[in-house]
Amino acid sequence: MNVQVTGPKIYFTFDIFGLEIPFTETMRNMLIVSAFILIVCLWLASGLKKVPKGKQVFAEWLVKYFYNMVEDTMGRHNLHFTPYIGTLFMFSIVGSLSSMVTLKPYTSNLSVTLTFALMTTVMVWFRSIKTNGVGGWLKSFVDPVPVILPLNIISEVANPVSMAFRHFGNIAAGTIITSLIYGALASLSNMVLGWIPNDFIANIPIFQLGLPAVLSLYFDLFSSYLQAFIICTLTMVYVGGAGPEGD
Amino acid sequence: MEELLILATSETQGFVSIDVWTMIFTLGNLLILFLVLKKFFFEKIRKVMLDRENEVQAMYDDASKSQEEGLRLKEEYEVKLSEANAESEDIVRNAVRKAQLKEEEIIKDAHAQASAIMKHAETQIELEKKNAVNEIKNDISGMAVDIAAKVIERDINAEDHSALIDEFIDNMGDES
Amino acid sequence: MNIDSEAFVQAASAIGAGLAMIAGIGPGIGQGFAAGKAAEAVGRQPEAKSAITSTMLFGDAVAESTGIYGLVVAMILLFANPFV
Repeated sequence: MNVQVTGPKIYFTFDIFGLEIPFTETMRNMLIVSAFILIVCLWLASGLKKVPKGKQVFAEWLVKYFYNMVEDTMGRHNLHFTPYIGTLFMFSIVGSLSSMVTLKPYTSNLSVTLTFALMTTVMVWFRSIKTNGVGGWLKSFVDPVPVILPLNIISEVANPVSMAFRHFGNIAAGTIITSLIYGALASLSNMVLGWIPNDFIANIPIFQLGLPAVLSLYFDLFSSYLQAFIICTLTMVYVGGAGPEGD
Repeated sequence: MEELLILATSETQGFVSIDVWTMIFTLGNLLILFLVLKKFFFEKIRKVMLDRENEVQAMYDDASKSQEEGLRLKEEYEVKLSEANAESEDIVRNAVRKAQLKEEEIIKDAHAQASAIMKHAETQIELEKKNAVNEIKNDISGMAVDIAAKVIERDINAEDHSALIDEFIDNMGDES
Repeated sequence: MNIDSEAFVQAASAIGAGLAMIAGIGPGIGQGFAAGKAAEAVGRQPEAKSAITSTMLFGDAVAESTGIYGLVVAMILLFANPFV
């Protein structure tokens, strides 16, 4: 049984000003997925007409979905966050779904999900400072009593960490379990057909044909959607909570 | 165990590791994607949708406005129509009354005329009667004179006398 | 039988990873409970099904965090062992 669980491959390393910048599998897949998202979205947004037809119906449904999501969670006065939330959602879900076309999903890289989470944290801080001023923001750490300061700091750190690990853990666990199942099924096939002296027949992966698709439906489709939804919802909740109350 | 898990080698990064360059790359990628999509996807499509929404709203407003106008006009026309109805009823009533008056007048006239004619006829008849009576009187007086003359002319006996009277009466009967 | 120290650490890490996954019990119970309550809520108010479902999924995903932490610890012990 040969199952590899590794981090992203390093293809080559740039050497600029003594800095060694690696170009990894994650970066490559991210470029591919970004290009895919860009092309699809620009294609969807091309040739818009007053009366929607064909692809424009889907595009409008998509945009409306994001705007409704933001309005439901953050309120009408925060609708200008929709482009970021929508981008994050698509970036996350298409990245996770890229495992279906045998790309290693970049959301199973902790650095990527941690970046998402830190973006949220930075947005929360900016929003908080914009609303309450620097003094008010700092004061919120010693609220209601100064003794609680360490706890507040821990919770401030715990939020992005938990967001990052949640997204990373779900997708990574999905890939690990899927590859473990593939390995197990491969050895099962080998066990059943291995006695046949013909090499070709002995290596037919009979058990790998249908079963992984069902699991893939959960780990790829459902889990990808759910995690993209969760990270967007958490971002909206945290950022919305940091800002001023709406009408 | 060694077969199951091939740990990170020098060619790969760790499975659970944080790489600053990946983070920077992700950040840049996400921001560029965000900026492009914001301008050319979300806000573009949102604008089209809002424009359409506004247009539809304007259309509805127009429609409701013209409906209101229509209702107003309808009310106006209804008022006018009922006025016209009342007027026409008035006219008809007036005409009927006038006609009745005229009818009554005509009938009265006719009655008057008829009674005048009757009166005339009656007087005429009376006159005729008088004339006739006068004529008869004349005749009678003439006959009396005749008879007297006959009586004087003849020597009359009793038989002659009665015969004379009978003859007279017969003549009377013939004449009348 | 001769056990060198690295093999011992790896074996201990594997046991530790298994123990870490006990954390999966909590989210399992919690999510089952949440799903049951959601089913009740849908039964009471079928018209609010979509809102209930998304709220439940969100709550489930947040409740899952502890299980995911356990999973991450297990994965670190297995695939990125700091002790080897």
